[in-house]
Amino acid sequence: MPEGIISNKRSAVFIDLGLMEYKRALDLQIKTLKLKIDKTIIEDRIFFVEHSPVFTLGKRGGKENLTVSKEFLKIKGIDLVQTDRGGNITYHGPGQAVLYPVIDLEHQRVGVKDFVFGLEEIMKRTALDFNIDADRNQLNHGIWIGNSKIGSVGISIKKGISFHGLAMNINLDLEPFSWINPCGLTNISMTSVEKEIKKAGSNHFGLSMKQVKNSFKKHFSSVLSYDISENHAD
Amino acid sequence: MKELKDLNFPDDVKYTKDHEWAKKTGELVTIGINDYAQDQLGEIVFVELPEVGDIFSEGDEFGSVESVKAVSEIYIPISGEIVEINQGLEDAPELVNQSCYTDGWLVSIKPSNASEFESLMDKAAYLDMLKG
Repeated sequence: MPEGIISNKRSAVFIDLGLMEYKRALDLQIKTLKLKIDKTIIEDRIFFVEHSPVFTLGKRGGKENLTVSKEFLKIKGIDLVQTDRGGNITYHGPGQAVLYPVIDLEHQRVGVKDFVFGLEEIMKRTALDFNIDADRNQLNHGIWIGNSKIGSVGISIKKGISFHGLAMNINLDLEPFSWINPCGLTNISMTSVEKEIKKAGSNHFGLSMKQVKNSFKKHFSSVLSYDISENHAD
Repeated sequence: MKELKDLNFPDDVKYTKDHEWAKKTGELVTIGINDYAQDQLGEIVFVELPEVGDIFSEGDEFGSVESVKAVSEIYIPISGEIVEINQGLEDAPELVNQSCYTDGWLVSIKPSNASEFESLMDKAAYLDMLKG
């Protein structure tokens, strides 16, 4: 794929939601999606968010890949939410950078597989900004370091417009991933930017979400050919 | 993604703006997604179809296709009642990639308004729309 997969540059508004509960962020995406479908808003919007701890299921489920009981999750205070995105079960929590592009793929003439490739490319280049060499893996979509997954993709498309998106592990507690078979896969592990930096013997104390946000913006802009401006959430 | 010239658009089916095809056989119309759509979606791993007897209006969501970690809704091009679904896709969703106009068809519908089929695009009009 060339540097930019879209020939006509478009503009998108980037909105940093900070720490937000999963369901609230999903409502916001769906609200934006509806406004885009009925053409009330034309611009594409990209939401950047961290979630409080939550497990989410793909449209086709994934509950069978939860390896602890629902009572256990209740004790831990973690919700399990059914969604209509692609993919299987996953975990989100503070310290994971999540990006939800609500963009008009049909208008942009961007194919679904190219868009998913683009989202993976954004994570790959973001990892490289932290001197981490991550790549695709034939095991599954997403971005990997060997058999350890550092970033995942799961999207939905209605009327040619995308929602849901990508999630990249930055400095989150990885333990909850051990309570599921992430993405329905067994014998894989999850890693994070922080874990990889430590493994390389480098100093991870300067690692911040702000750096990650800037990397996401920069790479989203170049990979998917967007002019991005930032708005702050209401 | 393939170039338009490398995609296959048969002359004997009608097309929709949502990149589906529809073919009339007697009273019934068979519906599927076209070569442009299957190419854009990538490797299809699951197809969700309605049930026989379900009734839809033109433009309604009637199912979804999952590919490369993406769930894409699909929309019915004409109003009517579903009379048959392609059950072969349950075990072999890849048929939509391999032969979208034949073994990879999605549903057969009994139209409730004949004029809707006639107003779908022919190949030339659809290609004009794609070229934008």
